[in-house]
Amino acid sequence: MRKAMWSLLVLTALLTSGCVTTGGASQSAVLRAKARVAPALVHIRPVKEVFSRGRREEVQIVGSGFIISADGYVVTNEHVAGQSKFVRCVLYNREVVDAEVVGTDPYTDLAVLKLTTDADDLPFCRLGRSDNLEAGQTVLAMGSPHGLARSVSLGIVSVTDRYLEDRGDQMVSPFNTWIQTDAAINPGNSGGPLVNLKGEVIGVNARMLSGAQNVGFAIPIDIAKEVIDEIIAEGRVTRSWIGETLQSMRAKTDDPTQKGVVVADVDPLSSGYEAGLRAGDVMLSVNGIPTNARFEEGLPAVRKLIADIPVGAEIPVRVLRGNEEIELKVTTAERSALKGSQAELPQWGFTAVNLTPAVARRAQLSSTNGILVTGSQMGGIAYNAGLKKGDIILRVDDIEIENLAHFDRVYGALVRSKKPRVLLDVKHGALTRFVLVKQNGNLEENAAQSASSDEGDGHAE
Amino acid sequence: MLSSVLGTVLVLAQTCLAQTGDGFTQETIAQVHARLQPAICVITYTSEVSNPQSGESTKRGGNALGLLVSPTGLLMAPGHMQVENSEPFNITVAVGQGDEEKEYVAKLLKKPDDVNVCLLQLESETPLRGLPYARFTSGVELEVGTPLMVVGVLSEPLDFARGIFTCRVGAILDKPRTTYCIDRAVRFGFVGGPVADAQGRVIGVVGFDLAVSEGGDLYVRSGHPLVYQTSLFKKYIDTPPGERIAPSDEEHAWLGVFTQPLSDDLAEYWGLKHNGGIVISTLVPGAPAEQVGLRRGDVITNFAGTPIRAKQDREVRGFTKLVREAGIGKAVTIKLLRDGKPMEVEVTLGSRPKSARDAGEYEDPLFGITVREITTDVRILLNLADDVQGVIVRRVKSGGTAALAGLRPGIIVMNLGDFPITSLDDFRQAVGKIAAEQPKEVTAFCRAGSATGFFRLEPRW
Repeated sequence: MRKAMWSLLVLTALLTSGCVTTGGASQSAVLRAKARVAPALVHIRPVKEVFSRGRREEVQIVGSGFIISADGYVVTNEHVAGQSKFVRCVLYNREVVDAEVVGTDPYTDLAVLKLTTDADDLPFCRLGRSDNLEAGQTVLAMGSPHGLARSVSLGIVSVTDRYLEDRGDQMVSPFNTWIQTDAAINPGNSGGPLVNLKGEVIGVNARMLSGAQNVGFAIPIDIAKEVIDEIIAEGRVTRSWIGETLQSMRAKTDDPTQKGVVVADVDPLSSGYEAGLRAGDVMLSVNGIPTNARFEEGLPAVRKLIADIPVGAEIPVRVLRGNEEIELKVTTAERSALKGSQAELPQWGFTAVNLTPAVARRAQLSSTNGILVTGSQMGGIAYNAGLKKGDIILRVDDIEIENLAHFDRVYGALVRSKKPRVLLDVKHGALTRFVLVKQNGNLEENAAQSASSDEGDGHAE
Repeated sequence: MLSSVLGTVLVLAQTCLAQTGDGFTQETIAQVHARLQPAICVITYTSEVSNPQSGESTKRGGNALGLLVSPTGLLMAPGHMQVENSEPFNITVAVGQGDEEKEYVAKLLKKPDDVNVCLLQLESETPLRGLPYARFTSGVELEVGTPLMVVGVLSEPLDFARGIFTCRVGAILDKPRTTYCIDRAVRFGFVGGPVADAQGRVIGVVGFDLAVSEGGDLYVRSGHPLVYQTSLFKKYIDTPPGERIAPSDEEHAWLGVFTQPLSDDLAEYWGLKHNGGIVISTLVPGAPAEQVGLRRGDVITNFAGTPIRAKQDREVRGFTKLVREAGIGKAVTIKLLRDGKPMEVEVTLGSRPKSARDAGEYEDPLFGITVREITTDVRILLNLADDVQGVIVRRVKSGGTAALAGLRPGIIVMNLGDFPITSLDDFRQAVGKIAAEQPKEVTAFCRAGSATGFFRLEPRW
């Protein structure tokens, strides 16, 4: 605590000196902007579900948020309020109010909460626009860095449309670019508002570059507004996709006259693939709207164009294949959840998730049937049987497993019946194997068996 | 009466003074040290360790204790010098110490497959004779608590000085053969060192794990040093094996299955009366096993006349060895249980497909890239579908065209420019044609993980 206080002091000193050089931002303008937003600032303490080592645990974390309506809707990040069982909020006047999670959207990292209060006169923020931002304009970041509530920091917009690189085959933010700012953003600022000098929220602070100095990122408020509205109306965000993975034109050629966007990959289980869309095609238009992305900053807009088309619509997609321009009729499908829902199977001591299409594809499965093991507790029944993280359970005895809910029913019946031996058909990478689960075996006997069993994937011959 | 008791006490006290805690006189220890240390030498080698996944290989230097076992320069060394994916070369051996030290070049002989030691032969322009060597005594039976002495070398900073330590037999294992465990940790430089008993007879050498065919690395994990008794390697000293044949020239028979042992639990689950066997858990597509209709879940009980009784993972290795050595192109009869019913299948064994270690490579100076053909083992490891064709990037030269385009080891190149790549030759020819045309940019269509995408190379002509 002492150390934390000290680092706060250093931070304040830096920011104070920064204030003087923040060209033209008069003290009074900063104070006015802060005064407009501060009363609507929320310090958020969710109790989240965390799955680790085959166990479900609950931990309390700290984040930020802001009230957007007089009746108590609050915006924060998905990575703050997602998977939480219980959310406690501390308002600017230090009143403690519990909140419900209305909905979350992992693709944009946004979540909406509703304060459980009858009040209809809560202070709330005005949402601004993010399409007219300029690099260099003064902004304030507000929230709870390192849990220190009601903190304000000052800086400028560094870049208005930063594209964050995909990590492996995981897109960091498929549907938006980011506002990069040098206003200090620290862990705990997540979900807090980025505010312009008019006192309007122009972004939701969500990320920082660790190890760097004042390189923070906020979700532009224009896209956040759409997501927030949809969550409040529907409880979730529905998006379309046609199986596409896109790359900027530049990945293929630097020729500036070349229009369109590169189709880098098409999921074999998707409607796009079915309609004939192939990796290597150059997508020229979707539903009659040109899809140009010469640079990667243009990619989120194209992805969003497809995502915003209603699910199940038949749309024309024009592509260039070689020198031939062709039109495909593609029926959009609903884009699957970014994260599969996770569960703990306590009697056997392991945790599992539903397969996402991406996981199924990596495992070379022809469908998303089955469940993915995310961890097993040392010494538990599953662990002793040799079940481990990354295994995909395809069958239990003679039953083909469809998904987690289906598995849970089969599993529940097995646990109740105390059937002594259960055979699982398991896939890991390219290899399949049989895993025999002993439900009644005493622990010592099971442990002895696991000591002699290989941790590898089987024996190659 | 009293005086006789006192006398006994005195005698005991004297014995204790003359002996160390481990039951040897200082004189015995000194004698054994003096007699054995000339036979101890230091082996220096380079090894290349290849990672079959990334295809990257790293070279590093190593040292090991060598024990001269004949006057003509036959040498025994710890088995870890030569393991899967690690090839020692540039082997030199320092015999003698200080001014007496003489360096020899040594060649590696074929590694025994039933005891985990390496054998080397010193090379010299004139025939070697009269070298100091350790003489072994066979047939000495030890008991728990029998005191032992081990001679070895200290670490490099201590100039590989020859040392000795005393210990006892701490445990005796009776499976898979009688094996003595040493009751304390053994420093690295003593692994492979001669073990002497109280009479100064050399009864074996220090080893760690059993040979792979005996279940091997199970003992490495236990961390318990063992004594390899003389009887295990006497035949190799009497008749040294021939020079090691490079693995690429060594062909093994192949069935194309991944297997697991038929544990008692699995047998009981399936209602099989059979005692042990090999369960087929994965079939390699197109391999001999699949071609003759073997199925997942088939239990092999007899292979080419040899009954198979594997119940534990390490017993699977015996089956693996049996298949490997059964002869390429030979038709063998496999007895198996399918759904509990006995069956016989005749299968013609194939030859084991080339592994990543022996795969061909092509180094291209123009793009600064080294690529390798995709071998069956890599296909299984990366879980690649059969229709994935191309070459796999093994290395990129820092700052080279390929590196600047973002290509990295592990990525599979499927197309280069307009040329589809299915082999090293395709790649070589494609580069040749591209070099003739000298285009400003070349697009490579690649696969990274389960996703595909483009990389744009800008060669500097």
